[in-house]
Amino acid sequence: MNLSASDITLFLVGISVMLFFARAFGEISRRFKQPIVMGEIVAGIVLGPTIFGMLFPDFFNLLFTSSKNISIAYEGLTTLAVIMLLLVSGLEVDLSVVLKQGKTAVTTSLMGVLFPFVVGFGAAYFFPELLGIVNIEQKLVFALFVGTALSITALPVVAKTLMDLNIFKSEIGTVIIASAMVNDLIGWIIFSIILSMLGTASHGLNFGATVGLTFLFIGVILVIGRKLINLVIPAIQTKTSFPGGVINFILILGFLGAAFTEYIGIHAIFGSFIIGIAIGDSAHLKEQTKEIIQQFITNIFAPLFFVSIGLRVNFIANFDIVIVLVFLILAFAGKVIGCGLGAYWGGMKKDDALAVGFGMNSRGAMEIILGILAFNFGLINEKVFVALVIMALFTSITSAPLMTIFLNRKKKSFKDLVNKNLIIVSEATDKTEVIKELASLCAATIKLNAEVIYEEVLKREEIIPTGIANTLALPHARLNIQKPIIAIALLKNEIDFEAADNIPSKIVILLLTPKTDNELQLKLLSEIAKYFGNKEKVDELLADFNPQSVYQKLVK
Amino acid sequence: MNFPFKKIGLAITFSPTGKALLAEAKRLQSLFNSELYLFHIGERTDEKEKSLLELILASGLNADSFKLDWGSGDPAKAIIKKAKEHSLDLLIAGALEKESMLNYYIGSVARKLMRKAPCSLLIHTIRPNGFSKFNKFCVSVDFTEENENMIKLAYQFALLENAKDFVLIREFKVLGLASTVYETGSAQGTEKVRLEIQQEEEEKTKFYIKELQLKNINVETVCLYGKEGWEANNYIRENGGDIFVHLAPKNSLKFVDRLFQHDLEFILKELPCSLLLVKPDKTN
Repeated sequence: MNLSASDITLFLVGISVMLFFARAFGEISRRFKQPIVMGEIVAGIVLGPTIFGMLFPDFFNLLFTSSKNISIAYEGLTTLAVIMLLLVSGLEVDLSVVLKQGKTAVTTSLMGVLFPFVVGFGAAYFFPELLGIVNIEQKLVFALFVGTALSITALPVVAKTLMDLNIFKSEIGTVIIASAMVNDLIGWIIFSIILSMLGTASHGLNFGATVGLTFLFIGVILVIGRKLINLVIPAIQTKTSFPGGVINFILILGFLGAAFTEYIGIHAIFGSFIIGIAIGDSAHLKEQTKEIIQQFITNIFAPLFFVSIGLRVNFIANFDIVIVLVFLILAFAGKVIGCGLGAYWGGMKKDDALAVGFGMNSRGAMEIILGILAFNFGLINEKVFVALVIMALFTSITSAPLMTIFLNRKKKSFKDLVNKNLIIVSEATDKTEVIKELASLCAATIKLNAEVIYEEVLKREEIIPTGIANTLALPHARLNIQKPIIAIALLKNEIDFEAADNIPSKIVILLLTPKTDNELQLKLLSEIAKYFGNKEKVDELLADFNPQSVYQKLVK
Repeated sequence: MNFPFKKIGLAITFSPTGKALLAEAKRLQSLFNSELYLFHIGERTDEKEKSLLELILASGLNADSFKLDWGSGDPAKAIIKKAKEHSLDLLIAGALEKESMLNYYIGSVARKLMRKAPCSLLIHTIRPNGFSKFNKFCVSVDFTEENENMIKLAYQFALLENAKDFVLIREFKVLGLASTVYETGSAQGTEKVRLEIQQEEEEKTKFYIKELQLKNINVETVCLYGKEGWEANNYIRENGGDIFVHLAPKNSLKFVDRLFQHDLEFILKELPCSLLLVKPDKTN
């Protein structure tokens, strides 16, 4: 079977159209601060039988389905795409981080898998019709699949959410990322077992042999393979052209791993994912390499894969509101309660635990990949698949705003801490006088003796003066308080706080932070110093010399 | 100056390294003004005891300036037992810079001590010409309270040593950052975030020096993005360092920490220089 010139032409035009739509809708999605994958899925829906295929069926068929050869070529391409997507997902998984994060990450990740799995399994096992089962004889496998589908968390969407919320490096951010990594790994292992239960192996391997080989593969690659890869990567990086050599190495290993797991009947993506984890763990692998491979795969192959999903299913004809709602309710209940409880039991406060729960609720691309595979294997029908896609997109879109509700209660950035009631104009003539004024101002708010605050701040001031630059003085202290607090004085009389630029201070910011959080104090100090490092900004801030105006400009 | 290492200990061997370590223990005893506990792990015989005393006195130690004890059994376990018995604050030991793969996983005496010592531990990388004073201190930073106390201790040590350089090494990594390339649509967005975080870390470290008042010595700061432990190890190898000060693990490191490498295991696998592991509860 050869591709004719006409087939090749139509195939190439089809790919171009898919890439164009993916980019266009992806960009629109990005403009609205939504996951790019959402735009790409919508591009597929617009291009597929739901809209374009219905309006112009002849043209749609000509491009995408007229020739069996073209369909096979598309299938090959999208299979390659999803294998590479899982390979790069694996690259970002760092299993040692879970051990390092300790109890909270362990309880969150385990509950993040177990609870939604039990919720999904129970619902699908006892009410299979409600969840749109295809073949009642496959009730057990179907229930296992629904459990797995609910326990998945998509790392890329989670990471982007944390980046947007600027909590990547916070305790909550680290717990979410570490737990999402473990969730992914456990989720794919369970899914592989489900596939082996379906008996997809083409080489006569029974269920036991497939599961045995799966765990052997995981063990060998993650224990021995990881160490060997770590030894080989430095040699490849120094002896071959960079980054070509190492990217080539990653793809070769990824495809070989994929070939092995496909052979034993658990789908190629699992092999590439595990190989990705083993490679990504190497301390020698440069961050730049990861980013290049991410760019190359996620800008070319991921869009093709996600657009192709919309081409296969009519999303309007297969939209079933009951199934969609049931999946949404199960998804939210499973993840938010499961991860929330896990984080709470791991020692987090209630608000933080809920933020973790909503953060872990993003299903994104991983859910869609899981769904399409189940659909291809005939385990679920179009209606369930559409419900899964909608659930994946809805959970991803709502993750950040819902997290924000709980994160907003924690004011930890300099701008968040500025309080209009704690800004004064001072007539003080020396530093002790102004510090005393600000200490009294804070004392009422944090219920601490003004004298204690004053003495602690002065003690710190006497060691090294806190004049920063550009008329800013930043006296500070760490006290037995729960939350950080900032009070600001605009000075009518300039006071010398011995700043490095020898300019006397016009504005004094008193910063008080909890004794136990050293890093928070340093973070706030550096944030404030950075803001006041810009002379123009400071001049503008102090132009009116009015507390109200200073407040508005600072929180802007 | 009242240094926190009030009781220091060393397991003596008859090897050339053993002699060098003995001389080093004597030097540190005098530097810290501490009590010195010496112990030998092995069968106690009159002949051995005599040779041991000769060896100790030859190092310049006075007969009343140390306490001698004997232990038996597995060397690492016996040393740990003695350290607990005498409530030592610091244990001194020598180690190869790098062990064979098998020894690394099974654990040599020195590596076992690094993973399980009940007190602070000073590991000297074995050198043929004995040991010299530490001129360049490299110190890990993680901004915790225990780490702050550890830095203060390292700083006092550096002042006692009259060291020339004191380098604070801050390692950090943002997990999952590369995966945001997909969602941001470009590597530039991801790179921008990384740079912002790098700048924030540098600023924090600069303030940290001010807050800790490290001023009587040449202090440098380095912020490294990447795997913790591994980045510091590489930095010290490339830029030199005589001693690396790091917090000891709160709990003993186990085999799983070698498989899914703990930060500290990157250091233990191939020591970049001598290593001081400070037990968190000994930092106050």
